[in-house]
Order: sequence, then structure tokens, then C-alpha cells
Amino acid sequence: MTSMLMEAVKIELGATERWPDNVKLYQQYQVEQITFPDYAACLSVKTFLHMCGLQFTTELKVNAEEMSPSGRVPFIQLGPFLVSEMEPIIACVKTRGFQLCSELTDIHKSEMKAYMALIGNTLVNAEHYLAWFNKDVFDEVTKPRYGSMYPWPLDGILPYMKQREVRKRLASLEWTEKSFEEVCEEVLTCCQALSERLDKQDYFFGKKPTELDAMVFGHLFTLLTTDLPNREFALIIQKFDNLVNFCQRIDQKYYKNLNNDY
Amino acid sequence: MFRKVKCESQPNSEKNDTRFSTQVKVDRVVINGLDRTKDDIVIKQVEPLFEADTFEEMLQKSGETEDRLKRLGIFKQVATVIDTSKGENASENGYEVNYIVKENRNVSAGAHAEIGTNDGTLRFNVNSPNMFGRAERLTADYRCDNKQMRGFGLHFTKPVNGNTDVLIGANAYQAFNEFPWSGYTEKDRGLGIDLSFPSLIGIHNIKWEGVWRDLRCSSNKTSFAVREQAGHSLKCSIIHSLTRDSRDNAILPTEGTLLKLTQEYAGIGGNAQFFKHQVELQANKSLFLDSVLQLSLAGGVMRHLQANKEIMISDKFFLGGPLTLRGFDLNGAGPCSDGNALGGDMYCVGAVHLYTPLPFRSGKGGLGDILRSHFFVNTGNCGNFQSLRLSDFNKDNLDLFRNSLRLSYGAGIVLRLGGVARVELNYVVPIWLLPGDRVNPGIQLGVGLSFL
Repeated sequence: MTSMLMEAVKIELGATERWPDNVKLYQQYQVEQITFPDYAACLSVKTFLHMCGLQFTTELKVNAEEMSPSGRVPFIQLGPFLVSEMEPIIACVKTRGFQLCSELTDIHKSEMKAYMALIGNTLVNAEHYLAWFNKDVFDEVTKPRYGSMYPWPLDGILPYMKQREVRKRLASLEWTEKSFEEVCEEVLTCCQALSERLDKQDYFFGKKPTELDAMVFGHLFTLLTTDLPNREFALIIQKFDNLVNFCQRIDQKYYKNLNNDY
Repeated sequence: MFRKVKCESQPNSEKNDTRFSTQVKVDRVVINGLDRTKDDIVIKQVEPLFEADTFEEMLQKSGETEDRLKRLGIFKQVATVIDTSKGENASENGYEVNYIVKENRNVSAGAHAEIGTNDGTLRFNVNSPNMFGRAERLTADYRCDNKQMRGFGLHFTKPVNGNTDVLIGANAYQAFNEFPWSGYTEKDRGLGIDLSFPSLIGIHNIKWEGVWRDLRCSSNKTSFAVREQAGHSLKCSIIHSLTRDSRDNAILPTEGTLLKLTQEYAGIGGNAQFFKHQVELQANKSLFLDSVLQLSLAGGVMRHLQANKEIMISDKFFLGGPLTLRGFDLNGAGPCSDGNALGGDMYCVGAVHLYTPLPFRSGKGGLGDILRSHFFVNTGNCGNFQSLRLSDFNKDNLDLFRNSLRLSYGAGIVLRLGGVARVELNYVVPIWLLPGDRVNPGIQLGVGLSFL
């Protein structure tokens, strides 16, 4: 209890400094190692930080996942603080006075939260399902990539340990009982909902980007551009022209001038 | 030895010295009480006995044989009976040596529970000293605790060719270790094969070891320098150690020296790559009034196999503790970050002890024999080398080294616990320390198997 209180006090005290120069975002090696569900999570956070106009550098670490306080990537190092995963990072950035959704009405804010939860509950689980339980994807992409930076025999053991961990999590959400068709169905429903919300607007809530835009971009762009043996998810997303255009637009706007350095 | 030998043939032989040099011939050796044990391994132990030519030699060799049989570790009891040989084939001056042995139980098992303030641990162990009848020893243990940490160990040893000095062994284990001084926990899974054998200069042990380490930060407060090293690593190494021990007692020696050299080369597969050397020296000298002067020195150095790469924290040297560099907390001296010890690439430590019996010889013949008072000065250093080239050992570096030495002195009581461990209660005054060191001046209590 005391340590939780201390933690809260520390965050409050630390918040006096706006945004230090040496903020670092940690993730696994992008080209050789990172699996696409993790990559989608990292891209969401990076897009969010870019949208806020905050400077940071990306640190590539083989052990980023084990270094992370929550055991998941990405995490940011902000002075003495380590904050991991999308929502805590959004909350932490907010304490520093940066917020994308400040102009939204309360109704829109809760709507945005609902859409973000939708992505967290369907798209993220579907990505894990595809990466770890689709045989072709697991054997050809996920397994070799996840083990790539480790010596034999760990390169063979660690992917299976991770698979077991993911299975445990998905099983508690009753996702392991689903067939691949049912998972595709979920993705389709999710995309439909997003497509309807976006309609013909530039961003989900009008003219300015929000956290939801960062998250949608992170996941959809990853699924659209990752070369997988099973392109089912990409095909589903491509049915929705406005979502594809949305991804291209954000890519143009935030990553063009970074020379597509995601 | 003589007590157990029953010389039935010549009742007054002991009184007559010339009898000892009488020509004899060992006709037969009989071993009674074998059950599981295979004949060949026992025959190898008794074979030298047939070479005895004189009575004295026979007594000596039968004693040595008894020792060898005991060293196999498979007998509860070994008794020797020497008799004149009788019967048709008996030669003149023929003797018969009988060994009456009792085998250990084939499997013994134990279980015990430890309960601390916050945790409880259950341990089970099974020990089989003579698995296949040739002194193959298998020990297995399993432990679990209330934090869902399960560990096990399997250890197998076998004398090579019936020779108890040459042992081949194999082990496998999984263990959870906590390193609170560095703020991390580690789950180790390892395999090893080793061979130990004596040579002219001492006892050698050559070991191949493969360990998969999974290092995790134990809390949010763990220093980032430690956090950076979290994750999986694999160490595959060859370790050679040489021990030459002429001390009369391992815990509280009065005479003799100890030399221990260890080299570890990690880099045959795996991603922990280093070459590590360690040396330990100890010399003891008896002085007046049963007091003993002891000088101990230890040191080690390691390098990464590739330039400019860091060695992982799990492999580094740590210094400090109530039984090594007294006056400091456990591993409390050396490089650190945010209160977490990071370890160094090199260390050295030296100690001078003066052991004396308890004041006024109290407890003599009883508790006084396992207790000693001692006065000590110890000094040491643990850090990172910038460079190992000899040309860099100039005055500046030497000054730097001298300025980073720690020193403490004090006095206390030492208790020998069984034949393996020791307990010390000391009053220590650390006088040279560096910022960041965790110091423990005043009364310090230490219990442990390794000490300096």
C-alpha cells in the first residue's frame, strides 16, 4: 500500500517536468524479431506520440518484453519512470499536459473509450489468435521471428512458452474455442463498426486525431502491410475503402517526413 | 585400525616385533554381506591386498582396503577379520582376510518443511547410494514453496573403473534464486557433466555446464541497469578447477595450506561469453598457546570474449558479507546503481585472522573445541577493469586501485557447525569505504558454507 502511494506521489511530482528530451520507447528488433501483434501495439503508441507532437527515440532491445514492467511491449522511459502499454502511456502523457481528446464532448469521449475497448477486445485478440494459433502463420512467421535473437535451443523453446502464455490468456476470454472463421467474423464486425463511425470524415471524431485514430492506425496498418501466409484479415479490411484510405492518410501525414521510419 | 583386526593365529605376535616382518601370503579374501553390490567393484578394492609379503604389510594393506571399501559410500559398516588360512589349499604362513560388510539401504528418502515469516518451503529428497551395484549414487531433490516456485535437482555420480578417486558425474536442475541485493530473481535450468580425478598437483575437476537463465526484476524499484539485463540467456561453459588442500580441518584449520584455482570458459554456444579466472589461497600457522595465524587471499578476473561487450550480471563477481569482507552487507561492496549491486569484472580480497581459544580456556573438551575467538583485518576491492594490458598498470591505475580498496577490522567468535559450515558473531569496524557501499558496522552475524 505504501509503495502504491509512493508511486502515485512520484508520478505526481514527476509530472512537474513537461516532456524531457531523452524519452525512449523500447521494443524488440523491428526487422528480425518483433511479432506483428506486438508491432501493432508499438505502432499505435508511436503514432499516438507523434500525434501529440512529442519527441522520443525508439530503442531496440532483444529483451524488451522481459524488461517491461508489465511484461508487454512497448514501454516508455520518461526520466525515472517506466510506463508500459497503450492506456497507461496515454494516462501518463495526460499528466504531462498532453491530450488529444481534450476538445471532445463527454459523450464523444466515452464513445471513443468504447471503440478503443472494442479494438482491445476483438482486434488485439484476433491478432494473437492469428499469430500464435494459425499453424501456417505460427510455423512460418511467428515462431522463427520470436526465437530469432536467441541461441539454440532457446530459439525453439521460447516461442512455445510464449504460445502457452497467450493460450492461457485467450482461453480465459474463451477465444481458444473459436474457429478461425469465427475469428474472421469478429474482425469483420469490428471493421464494420469502425467503418461506420469513420464514415467520410478525416478522423474518427472530426478534423483532429484522437487516441482512437492512433490505435486504429496501429492495428489496421500492421495487418494491411505485414506479409503473412494467411492474408485473411487484410482481405477483410480491404473491403472497407474508407479504413484503407484512412490508414494511407495517417501514414502520409505522420510517417512521410520521417522517411517511413515506423 | 588395529582395534578391528583380530589376529587369532598368533596370540603373542604383537609383543614380538620380528613377527611383524614374518613372511606371509594372503591366500584368500572373503567379503561377507554383499547383496546388491557387484563382485567386480569389490574385487578391485581388495586386489592390492594379495601383494602383501610381510605381516606388517598385510595389516597395513588390509586397513587401506577397509578405507577404500568405506569410501565407496555403499556400506554402513565394514569390519576386518584376519585369520590363518585353513584347509587343503592353505599355503604355509597363509592368511585369510575377512571383511564383514553391511550395505546401506538401497533407497533412502527424506522430507522436511521450513517455515519463515512470509514463506514456507517443502523439500523432498531421495538418495540411492548404490543404484546398479557399482557405487552409482543418485540423489534427487524437489522443493516447492508458497510462491509457486518449484525446483528440483538430480545428481548422479559413478566411480570410474571402481576407483573412488576418479568420479564421473552428471546433474540436471531447476532452481529459483533470489538476489535481493541486486533486485532480481533468476530461474535457472541447467545440465552438467563432470569428471574429477587426482593428479600430482591436486584434485582436478573438469565440468561442462549448460545453464538457461531467466532473469526478472523483482520489483518496480529495481535499477534500470539491472532491468536492462532481464530476459533469457544461455551459458555453455567448460570449467576446470584444481584444489590442493593440506589443511587439517576445512573450517577451523591449525596447519596447512589451501590452493584453489578455477577457470571458466563460456562461449561454446549460448549467448553468455566470457573467460573467468579465480584463485583462492589460504595458509595457516600454529603459534604459541594454541593460537593460529591465518592468511587468506582470493581474487578473480573475467573478460568478455568480444571487445566492448558487457558481461551479464549473473556471471559477475560480488564482494562483501559477514563471512568474506566483514563489515559490509552481503554483496554490499562494489559497483552499484540505485542501491542495487551490479557486480564487477574483477575482485580481490584478503584477510588476516588470529584465532585463539576462548578466554581462560573456558569450555575446554566440550563446546570450547568448536568455538574460537578471532581477531581479523580484511580488505578487498570489486570493480570493473578498463583495460587488462600490462602497460596500463602505471601509477595512476595503481592509485585508483588503492583508493577503491575497502578495509575493516574487528573481533568475534567463530563456531564450527558440523564439518561444513561456520557461524561467526563479530564486532566490525569498517574504516575504508566508498560511496554507495552498504555498510554494516558494529555487531554482525554470519552463517555460511563459504568464508574467507
